[in-house]
Amino acid sequence: MVNPSVPFTDERLPNGLRLIIAEDHLAPVVAVNIWYAVGSKNEVPGKTGFAHLFEHVMFQGSRNVKKAEHIALVQAAGGTINGTTWLDRTNYFETLPSNQLELALWLEADRMGTLLDALSQENLDNQREVVKNEKRSSYDNRPYGSWSEKLQAHLYPEGHPYHHPTIGSMADLDAASLEDVSAFFRTYYAPNNAVLAVVGDVDPAVVRTWADRYFGGIPANPAIPPVGDMTLPPTLGAEIRETVTDQVPLPRIYFGFRAPVVGDRRLDALEVAMQILAGGKGSRLDRRLVRDDQIAQDVVAFVLGFIGGGSIAAGWATLKPGVALERVEAAYLEELDRLTREVVTDDELARAKALIETEELGALSRVEERADRLAMNATLFDDPALIDTMLGRYLSVTAEQIRAVAAEVFRKDNRLVLTYLPASGSTEEAAE
Amino acid sequence: MSESTVIATRPTPGHPRPYDFPAFERATLANGLQVITAQMPGRPLVTASLILRNGAADDAPDVAGATSLASRAISEGTERYDAVALVEATERLGAGLHADAGWDASTVSIEVPVARLEPALDLLAEVAAHPTFPVREVERLREERLNDLLQARAEPRRRVDEAFIGTIYKPSSPYHQPSGGLAGTVGTLDADRLARAWRRGFDPRRMTLILAGDLDGAGGGGPVAMAERLLGGWVLAPGATAIGGSVSSESAINSLVIKLLDRPGSVQTEIRVGHVGVPRRIEQFAALSVMSAILGGLFNSRLNMKLREEKGYTYGASAGFDPRRGAGPFSARVAVNTEVTVPAVVELLAELDRIRQEPVTAAELAAARDFLVGVFPLRFETPGPVVGALGGIVVHDLPDNELATYRPRIEAVSAADVQAVAEARIHPDRAAVVMVGDAARIVGELEAAAIGSVEVIREDEAAEPGA
Repeated sequence: MVNPSVPFTDERLPNGLRLIIAEDHLAPVVAVNIWYAVGSKNEVPGKTGFAHLFEHVMFQGSRNVKKAEHIALVQAAGGTINGTTWLDRTNYFETLPSNQLELALWLEADRMGTLLDALSQENLDNQREVVKNEKRSSYDNRPYGSWSEKLQAHLYPEGHPYHHPTIGSMADLDAASLEDVSAFFRTYYAPNNAVLAVVGDVDPAVVRTWADRYFGGIPANPAIPPVGDMTLPPTLGAEIRETVTDQVPLPRIYFGFRAPVVGDRRLDALEVAMQILAGGKGSRLDRRLVRDDQIAQDVVAFVLGFIGGGSIAAGWATLKPGVALERVEAAYLEELDRLTREVVTDDELARAKALIETEELGALSRVEERADRLAMNATLFDDPALIDTMLGRYLSVTAEQIRAVAAEVFRKDNRLVLTYLPASGSTEEAAE
Repeated sequence: MSESTVIATRPTPGHPRPYDFPAFERATLANGLQVITAQMPGRPLVTASLILRNGAADDAPDVAGATSLASRAISEGTERYDAVALVEATERLGAGLHADAGWDASTVSIEVPVARLEPALDLLAEVAAHPTFPVREVERLREERLNDLLQARAEPRRRVDEAFIGTIYKPSSPYHQPSGGLAGTVGTLDADRLARAWRRGFDPRRMTLILAGDLDGAGGGGPVAMAERLLGGWVLAPGATAIGGSVSSESAINSLVIKLLDRPGSVQTEIRVGHVGVPRRIEQFAALSVMSAILGGLFNSRLNMKLREEKGYTYGASAGFDPRRGAGPFSARVAVNTEVTVPAVVELLAELDRIRQEPVTAAELAAARDFLVGVFPLRFETPGPVVGALGGIVVHDLPDNELATYRPRIEAVSAADVQAVAEARIHPDRAAVVMVGDAARIVGELEAAAIGSVEVIREDEAAEPGA
């Protein structure tokens, strides 16, 4: 199969806003995606959760847009919309019928330029409560809900910008003030800290004109502070173990490892390894723990890629009732260990690559995904053209590269084992 | 830092490029099996779905969950392949093979690059027509389902959904429990029962294969010729029946019912408010869609604006119908911090009443209609959703122009239509309010609010309704 390629243009406005345009007239739709180079890694102690709370404030109106009107206008235009905050970024995106592009650019420019005109204590307080309820819904009120926070806290040392969760802590959310919001906006929400990707049924010359018209009057911030020191040793240095008691019916063991950063070829190999380990019913962990030994209810393995110091390789197995923890842990780790000793078979590698190829083809067929990837590659690596190299990089991974990266990552002295046990009386009475 | 200058005037939209739902063609194989093809240029990843009109609603009460489990079991062993050989063969094609049973139909689907469509269809056909239901795999899947039900009890969202449908439907309705069944019947499912559940729908004259994507690159004489070769020889399975009749969806409640399932230590209360809703085939489907969007579908819906953007009670509030062959549920859904549980319930009930009492504003009406009309082309950018929408036509016996007429029908909905459909289909006075939360911190205030009598269900008495 041919490697899909995404033709695009890449330029900067005088104020530093990076504009990437990819034309595609297949469907009458357009995707707009703005990445700001700010995420939870830019937060300082005592102010965790702020980048994400700020993302919510971005929907509370600006000089010419009323509270909640941004989303209302996009939806009434027949569009879909959202924003996300993660360790390395905050992005805002909308997909609309292509005749509505100008509206999206106007809306994004209005809040990039004039958010503070509409900022009020009432809106901040309201979104603070919304975010606290998001934290309750997504983490605090869910079985096993604390695992991702614990994973980050254990794999990145105190003081590292990735040590704390993006959702933040209740105490820090309570402490966030209007002054914090203003300072954060003035510091990070500048055109020279943003990438605007526009993909779909558009005329690039018109997009340029509109980008100049709507964003051109927003000044750059020449003094964007650098993020703190991100460097890390390649491994944890010693195994870390923690046991958590929770309202869960079945025990679950989480595993975490420090891994190479995104962009490092070794992480590409590790991604393929994860497909071979747990990518569906044909994978090694599924076959061993779920199908053959029947000791696990489900198994998972994945990579969370980051750019500063190290990524995360992680996974879990949920125990079947009555099975000994040690047995499941040993079986899971045996499969990881086997990957460090023997090269995967040609057939395993070919199957993993075929699935990745189909997945990439599917992802790149959507304008929203293409806009996201162009903006991501420009923001994180200063190179939007990387969008065309990703599939080729996966397809060129060799069996020996997989073995080598597995040997570097899946080591006992680089391992977190996080075990969730049912609080008394909440398990083991059902199933058989 | 200098001040920003931005343009104050909101731009007006350009001229919309016309959009039509992809044209599709029908063909009939020698054995009566229908084939629908939708050519989508530039989409080399093809989706193909085989639809059997045999769903969870067709399970007899004593084998509830059989069709759902059968759809998982068909890829666990066939006449030509064991489970592992099958998944490996699928993966070598770079294909994803998925089988799933909904309430009204079972589907077996593949997504595959068009150049490998024929071998992928061959695997799809093998799974659909020649499953062997190996005992070991069936027993494993059954046990996994039972464990999954155990997990669901700890997950407030799943627990409240289960309790909600168990409250609003009579036990005689299949909708009284999840489509995958509950432990009482799942525990009895064996290979024979799964085989019978699957064969029940295996009537080629009632099956449809739907394909979308850039099918010109398929080779093999095209997808219809391919289907003739691979599916055209199928015959009626023993035990197949002409199912698809009416589904019992009788309400178990006729006044406001309030139920609180205790989950000590919960920091939020999961709330569902609603009742038996509507079947898919109703006259007022367009008005219902617009009304749902205004009440609880859009971000700026009444529920979300009130409970999230005004009160800050929740990360998100929504409401909607789940139309099925029979009357699926209507529910408003929200999770709120424990302290505001009672005011949230009061606000929810008030909004369900208000949409009936007052006409929606012109702005609300326009926003909802424009959203539903405008988002239509976005929904169908790739083959998967196109196949899904065509599947809806097949399953619900809708006219072939259903999708072509969708946008004009939405545009024709008036404020009076919205109010009329709300009056007819939303009934706060005979709704169930079902909650999962920390009873000790809620129940006093809930009773004092005198919304209705409150039934509190403690952890140890929460035996599952279907058992």
